Amino acid sequence: MGRVAGKKIFSIMALCAMVGLLLLPIAVSLPSLAMGADAPDAVKKEGEAKVEKGRDVYYKTEGIVVGAPAPKTVDGPRDYPRYNFESRVLLWFANQQHLYYGSFVLAVPIFCMVIEFMGVVTKDKAMAKRYDQLAYDFIKISLTAYSLTAILGGILIFTFLTLYPAFFGYLSGIFRPVMHIYALMFVAESGTLYIYYYGWDKMRDGFLKWIHLSMSVILNVIGTLLMFLANSWIGFMMSPAGVDEQGRYLGNIWHVIHTALWNPLNVHRILGNMAFGGGVVAAYAAYKFLASKTDEDRAHYDWMGYIAMALGVAFLIPLPFAGYWLMREVYAYRQQMGITLMGGLLAWLFIIQATMIGILFLSTNYYLWQALGRMRGAEKYQRYIKYLVFILCCGYLVFITPHTIVMTPAELKAMGGQQHPVLGNYGVMSAKNGGINVIITTTILSFVWYMRGNKVSTVSWSKFGNIFMGVFFACAYVNIIWLAIYGYYIPANVRVGLSVPQVATTLSCLFFMFPLNAAMMKGAKQMGAIEWGKISVRSQYALIMLATAFTWMMGLMGYIRSSVRLFWHVNEIMRDNSPWAYTHTVGFAANMISFNVLFFWVSILFVFWLGSLGMKKAPVEAKAGVPGGAPQPAGGH
Amino acid sequence: MKALMSVAALMGAAGILLLAAMTVGIVPSNTVRLIEGYMPVQVIAELTLFVAGFTGLSYMMAAMGMPFPRFWQGILFWAFLLIYLKFRIYPPIPFSVRAMYGTISLVAIFMWVSANEEDWKKFKQPIMNVLDAKTGGAKALRIGYLVIIPILIGGFSYNAMVPKSEEPIELRTVHPAPPASTKVHGKTYTLQTSQNPYRVNPEGKYDQEYSNANIVEQGMGRLMKPNANPWDKDAQGYLKYVREGGEIFYQNCHFCHGDNLNGRGLHAFAFNPIPANFTDPGTIAQLQETFIFWRVSKGGIGLPNEGFPWASVMPPWEQHLTVDEIWKVVLFEYWHTGYYPRTWD
Repeated sequence: MGRVAGKKIFSIMALCAMVGLLLLPIAVSLPSLAMGADAPDAVKKEGEAKVEKGRDVYYKTEGIVVGAPAPKTVDGPRDYPRYNFESRVLLWFANQQHLYYGSFVLAVPIFCMVIEFMGVVTKDKAMAKRYDQLAYDFIKISLTAYSLTAILGGILIFTFLTLYPAFFGYLSGIFRPVMHIYALMFVAESGTLYIYYYGWDKMRDGFLKWIHLSMSVILNVIGTLLMFLANSWIGFMMSPAGVDEQGRYLGNIWHVIHTALWNPLNVHRILGNMAFGGGVVAAYAAYKFLASKTDEDRAHYDWMGYIAMALGVAFLIPLPFAGYWLMREVYAYRQQMGITLMGGLLAWLFIIQATMIGILFLSTNYYLWQALGRMRGAEKYQRYIKYLVFILCCGYLVFITPHTIVMTPAELKAMGGQQHPVLGNYGVMSAKNGGINVIITTTILSFVWYMRGNKVSTVSWSKFGNIFMGVFFACAYVNIIWLAIYGYYIPANVRVGLSVPQVATTLSCLFFMFPLNAAMMKGAKQMGAIEWGKISVRSQYALIMLATAFTWMMGLMGYIRSSVRLFWHVNEIMRDNSPWAYTHTVGFAANMISFNVLFFWVSILFVFWLGSLGMKKAPVEAKAGVPGGAPQPAGGH
Repeated sequence: MKALMSVAALMGAAGILLLAAMTVGIVPSNTVRLIEGYMPVQVIAELTLFVAGFTGLSYMMAAMGMPFPRFWQGILFWAFLLIYLKFRIYPPIPFSVRAMYGTISLVAIFMWVSANEEDWKKFKQPIMNVLDAKTGGAKALRIGYLVIIPILIGGFSYNAMVPKSEEPIELRTVHPAPPASTKVHGKTYTLQTSQNPYRVNPEGKYDQEYSNANIVEQGMGRLMKPNANPWDKDAQGYLKYVREGGEIFYQNCHFCHGDNLNGRGLHAFAFNPIPANFTDPGTIAQLQETFIFWRVSKGGIGLPNEGFPWASVMPPWEQHLTVDEIWKVVLFEYWHTGYYPRTWD
C-alpha cells in the first residue's frame, strides 16, 4: 500500500516537473519580453529629445521605436546570395517538407491522446487493450517522423540564413524573444514526448495510466503552442502589426504576435493538421492492409484505417468553415489581398483547391459506402447510394465552377461576354457555400447510414425517430439551397453573413443527428457482426487517395497563402527585390507541389518501414493489439 | 412504388426524346427554354428530373424482365451528361469547364457503379468478357480494341503535338486586385475606406441602408420602388444624384455597356470580350463601390499587371469626367441593376 502511495506521489511530482518544464521557457524569456520596456530607459539616458515615436501600422497605437527599419534590399550577393538556382524554390522545398512533418508530429499525439483516453474509459478490457496498442503504434510512427521534423527545421533555418540573410535578420530581430521561447519549448516538447513514449509500459495500469494520459495532454499543449508561435511569423509576414510604416519595432511583442490573421490561421492549421495526420495514418493502415498476408492482419489494419479516417474526417468537416473565417479576415484586412486570392491572380489555384476538397469528401463517402459492404444487413442502404452520388456530384460541380474561366477568344465571343448566365451564378460565393454545405451534409448522412448499417433499432419510438431524421435532413438540404439562392437578392455584407445559418444547418445535422442516431441504436438488434478485413480493396485506395489529396492540398494552400504577398517579404513593409519577386505560373506551382508531395510520400514510406522494423522486434506486444474474432469496436459506433 | 416508377419512366423517356429532338433540330431548340435569371436552378432541376426518369426507366425494364446492363447504364448516362452540357445550355459553356464537369461526372459514375460488390461485378462483367474472350465475338472485340486503342492514343498525341494556328486559351482575370489607393484629379482615395459622397439620406449623411431601400427591384423586370423615381422632377438628394448619374451614363457609357447595363451596347460587339454585364451577379454585385470608382477612373489602360491579358478598351474616364460625375455614375449603376455595393461591416 505504501509503495503504491509512493508511486502516486512520485508520479504527481513527475507531472509537476513536466508542467514546470513547460513553463520554464516562458519564465526564462521574461526579460526578453520586457525588452520594449527596457529600451525606453536606455533611450532616456541619452536624453529625452532623442526618443522617437512611431505609429503601429495595424493597431494605430503610438509606441517608442526600438527596432531598426526593414532593410531596403538590393539584388546582389549581400542581400540575396545564391547558388546557380532559384533560391525561392529551395526555400519552398525546405519549408514544405518541414511543414508536412511538423503537421504530422503535431497531429499524431492528439490522436494518441484521444485513442488512449478511449482505451482508459472503455469497460471492455479486450477493447481497451486494442485502443492502447493502437495509440502506441501511432506514437511509434510519429517518433521517427519527429527526428525528421527537427532535421528539416534545421535545414530550413540554414536555407533562410544562407539565401535570405537580410530578410531573416530583420524577422529574427523582431521575433527574438519569440524565437527563443520557440526553441526552448521544442526542448520541452522533446522531453515530454520521449518520457511519454518510453514510459508507456511502466505506466500501463491504474493511477499511473492517468498520469501517462495527462502527459499526452501536456505534450499536445506544448505542441499547439509551438505551432501558434510559428504561425505568428507567417501572420506577421502577411498582415504585419507592432511595427511602424518603416518596419521599425515599437516594443510591444504581443502586437507583433497577435496580428490580424493570427487567430484564424491558428484555428485553420490545427484542424488542417489533424485532418492531414488522420489521412496519413489511414494511408499507412491502407498500405499495410493491402500488403497483409493473413486475415488477422487485414482485420487489424482495416480497423486502424477506419479509426484514423474517422478522426481525420471529424476535423475535415469543420475545416472549410475555418477556411471561410480566414478568408473573411483576409478580406477585412485588405480587400486587395482577398481579391487577389479569390477573384484575381490566384483565383484558379482556389478552383484547384475546391477540386481537392471535393476529392476529400468524395473519397470519404466512397470509403463509407464500401465499408457498408463488410456489414451484414447494410444492403438496405446500398441501393440508395446512387442518389447520394447525384447530390454530392451536384454540390461538387457548383463548388468547383470557376469565376475566371479559361477559354479561347472564340469561346469568349460565342459566350457573348465574360459572364455566363449559368456559370456566372455558380462561380460566386453564395452558390459555392451552398455546394460545400450540401457536400458536407451528405457526408454526415453517409456516416449516419454507416453507423446504423448492421443494426435495427428496437426502441419504441424508432418509427418516429426515422421520420424525424429524414425530415431533418430534408429540411437541412432545403434550407442550405434556399439560402444559397436567396444570397443573390441581398446586400453583400448580409450575404456573407448567410454562411452562418448555412453552417449552423450543416453542423446541427452533425450534432443532433449523431446523438439521436446513437440513442436509437442503443440496444439495437444486430443483423450481423462487422467483418473486419472483409472490406473491398477499392476502399483502401480511397484512403490512399484521401491522404494524397490532403497532402497536395496542404502544399497548394501553403503556396497560395505565401504567394498572396506578391512582391513583399513582409506585406507593405519589406519589399522582395530578388529576381524572383514574381508569381509562378499555375503549371509550375502545380509541378512543384506535386514534387513536394512525392518527396514527402517517399520519405514517409521510409519512416513506415523503420516503424515496421520496430514491430518485428516486439512480436509479443504487437500480438496483444491484433483484433481477435472481430469484436464490435466502440469506435465503430 | 410501381406507379411512381412508371410516371418517372414516362418522364425519363419523354425527356430524353425531347432533348434528342431539340438537339438535332426536329423540334425548335427553344421548345423548353432556359430562362436567363433562372437558368442555374433550372439546369439542376432538369438534371434531377432526368435522373429520376432514368431510375424509373431502369426499374420498369427490370420489372418487365429486360434489365438494362449496368455497364451500359453507366456509359450512356455519362454520354447523356456530356451531350446535355454541350447542346442544352446556351450560351455555350467553354471546353475547359465542360472538361471539368465531364471528369467529375465520370468519377461520380464510377462511384455509383462500384459502390457495392454486386454492382461492381455487373459493371465489370462485359469488360471481363472481352478480356477473357471466351466467345468468337468477344475475341474479335478484343483484337479490335488492341488495334483501335493504340491508334486512338496515337491520334490524340498527334493532335496535341501538331502546331496549330488557333488563338491560344486565355486566363483572363475578371477582377484584378485593386491597388490600396488611387489618385484621381490630384486627390488620393483609399479604396478600403472611401465612400461614395452621394450615397446619402435626406439629412445629407452617408447612409447605405437608405439608398439600398430605394434601388430598383432586382429580377426580370427591375421595377422602380414606389416613390423612388429619380426622374421625378421633385426628386432630391440620393434620387437626384442617381438621375444625374444616369444622364452621365447615357451620354458616355451606354454606347458600350448598353441601355440596360448588360454589356450589350451599340458598339459592344466590336470588342472581344464585350463590355462587362453589370446585371450579372458576378460583376459589380461582388465589389466595393470604390473598386468601380477606380476602374472607371483609370480604364483599361490603368489595369494592373494582374489584369492580364488587359483585354479592355475602356477609356480612363478621369480624363473626361470629374470626380463627382464618376461617383454619380457608379451610384446610378448600382441603382439600376438593383445590386448593393459590397461592404465589410
